[in-house]
Amino acid sequence: MSPALYLGFATLLFGVGLYGLLQRRSLVAMLISLELMLAAVSVNVVALTSLTGHDASMGQVVALILVGVAAAETAIGLSLFVAIHRASHSIDVETLSELKG
Amino acid sequence: MTGTVLAALAAQAAPLLACALILIFLRGRPRVAAGTAIAALTVSFAAAAFLVWQVAVPNTAAVSQTLWLPVQGGAGLAFGVILDPLAVTMALVVAAITLAVMVYSTGYMRGDPGFARYFGFLALFGWAMLGLVLASNLLQLLVFWELVGLASFLLIGFWFEREAPAAAARKAFLMTRVGDVGFLLGVLLLIRALGVATIPDVLAAATSPAPGFTVPLVAFLLLMGVVGKSAQGPLFTWLPDAMEGPTPVSALLHSATMVAAGVFLVARLHPLFAAAPGVMQGLLWLALVTALASATMAMVANDIKRVLAYSSISQLSYMLMALAAGSVAAGFFHLTTHAGFKALLFLSSGIFIHHAHSNDMREIAGHEPLSQKAGVIGLVAGSLALAGVIPFAGYFSKEMVLGAMGEKVGGVVLALAYLGAGLTAYYTFRMVFLTLRGQTPRRPVARDIAPAAHAAGHEEHFPKAAEAAMAWPVLALAALTLVLGYLGGFFATRLSPALPHEGPFHVGGGALVALALVAAGIALAWYEFGRAGALRLGFAERVPALKSFFGDNWYLDRLYKATVIRWTLALSRAAKWNDHTVLDGASDGVAQGTVWGGRILSMVQNGFVQAYVAVAISVVAALGIWLTRTGGLP
Repeated sequence: MSPALYLGFATLLFGVGLYGLLQRRSLVAMLISLELMLAAVSVNVVALTSLTGHDASMGQVVALILVGVAAAETAIGLSLFVAIHRASHSIDVETLSELKG
Repeated sequence: MTGTVLAALAAQAAPLLACALILIFLRGRPRVAAGTAIAALTVSFAAAAFLVWQVAVPNTAAVSQTLWLPVQGGAGLAFGVILDPLAVTMALVVAAITLAVMVYSTGYMRGDPGFARYFGFLALFGWAMLGLVLASNLLQLLVFWELVGLASFLLIGFWFEREAPAAAARKAFLMTRVGDVGFLLGVLLLIRALGVATIPDVLAAATSPAPGFTVPLVAFLLLMGVVGKSAQGPLFTWLPDAMEGPTPVSALLHSATMVAAGVFLVARLHPLFAAAPGVMQGLLWLALVTALASATMAMVANDIKRVLAYSSISQLSYMLMALAAGSVAAGFFHLTTHAGFKALLFLSSGIFIHHAHSNDMREIAGHEPLSQKAGVIGLVAGSLALAGVIPFAGYFSKEMVLGAMGEKVGGVVLALAYLGAGLTAYYTFRMVFLTLRGQTPRRPVARDIAPAAHAAGHEEHFPKAAEAAMAWPVLALAALTLVLGYLGGFFATRLSPALPHEGPFHVGGGALVALALVAAGIALAWYEFGRAGALRLGFAERVPALKSFFGDNWYLDRLYKATVIRWTLALSRAAKWNDHTVLDGASDGVAQGTVWGGRILSMVQNGFVQAYVAVAISVVAALGIWLTRTGGLP
């Protein structure tokens, strides 16, 4: 397998996530896009550790930790969204601009 | 501490205390305020009389001072009193005139809303002037010199709610300041060069000059202060305007005592000035020109106070001429007699002004005759003294002045000084005849001068008590004009350099010439103003060019307006433009720039989370590209 394939896939995944993060106006959709970007990072870590001759298990461990962290982050993010929704009855980022300068 | 030092301190402390009490606590209680001020000056007067008895009569001299602020390797700042015949005699003159003027003012200023403030200022002046006279130290003298100027400013502008007195006060302050700059520089130069500030030490050092100490320069700078304060030469035009103040103030400050401070300073530091003969020669000429010029101005003035003001300038010039000719005794003797008779003249003119509600002599003459005889007596006695008629005080002192000049200078200067004496007699009696012999048919008088400076809201008919308060000081001073003249010997033997004195009735050739000139002047005044059917128009007033030249201060004010004042105003305008446009513009620009910068930057914080993310990603991407291209090295 060519490393370019993994890296290209990760880039694609990151790009899709970035596009979603910038494009979608719903906080939930943005969180999902963020998860995609995080997944791209995990793919990169796993691919690069196994392809550059290092101990492959190292990258896999990091990827697993990242999955755990992502789960925790999603939980915190979603609870924040619930709190925001309670306060302003919306999770649209365009309406959440009270800290505007 | 000896009794004399204690008396000197008491003489200064009493008016200061009275001034503080009046201005802080007694502003609303005029009668108590006047009583306090008069009591304080009575203390000063008694103390000064005691000092004259203890110091001047036995002719001793002493300095008593304490070091207040020691300076490493320098003179330090000492405060104290000097007790010699010159100082204590001057102190007695000051205290006596101040006291007389205060008593008079209780009548003249009756009912004025600022009555208490007026007495507070008078007490302030009394303190400052006594401090100046008794100062043992040049720095101390400088402090009181400026305080006297402050008191003058406050009292000229006493009716500050009117435009003319306020302007006159500013003019007086600024013009004397021009001279005071020189005075300050002179004192600083002197102290730096000699390292001492105590007056006897300075005089001792000045006669044996230290290296780097140029006596003529210092003498010239000190004389600048004298010229400003004593209204001489080019800086005299503030004094006629100062007549906008209350008449008793004119009597006290602007003829008898304050303007004599300059003369006093020259007498005080006479050995120093004598060591610069060139400067003294210049002073002699300056004073001579001033004496004649101000006499011509007095010849055409119609305001009685202005006539007296010009004559004050002229007489101050005579004092300075005597000093410049080397005779402290003659100059100081003339100062003393002049203080008496000029205060008398002002106070009696105040009675007329109060009666006729006008300063204009033609209006005073047209008014119903004065029932109060004190004014007439005072005016005539004072005028006889001023003109120098034997046996009034002015005769003796002017004789001494002219005699001293005859010994030292002679020639043209002396002839012109005699001519000035004749002119003095002429304008003095022009004033007397214009004021007293005016019961000719009344015709409307052109009002070319401002109506009398009058106390607002004073009563039309004086209570008897007020009349008496004004009459007694006038009568006392009138009596003094007959007495003071015999004190010439006292001054001649006690002030250095000693003069040979042949007794008061020594009539030499000079005295005969002077008396003849005085008689001629009076006769001319009688012919033009006094006799029945006189035209009441002086020879100088008949020539329009002369009348306007003399009546307008020899166009000096116009000259100043066209030059110095105009330049100053132009400079001020330029400075204002610079301030408003350049400096304010710069700071405004900084403020505006900050505001606009803030607005532009705040647009970045637009509240869209996704925009922030886009920026963050772009920056990271750009950083990443830069890192891969350069390998992290710049």
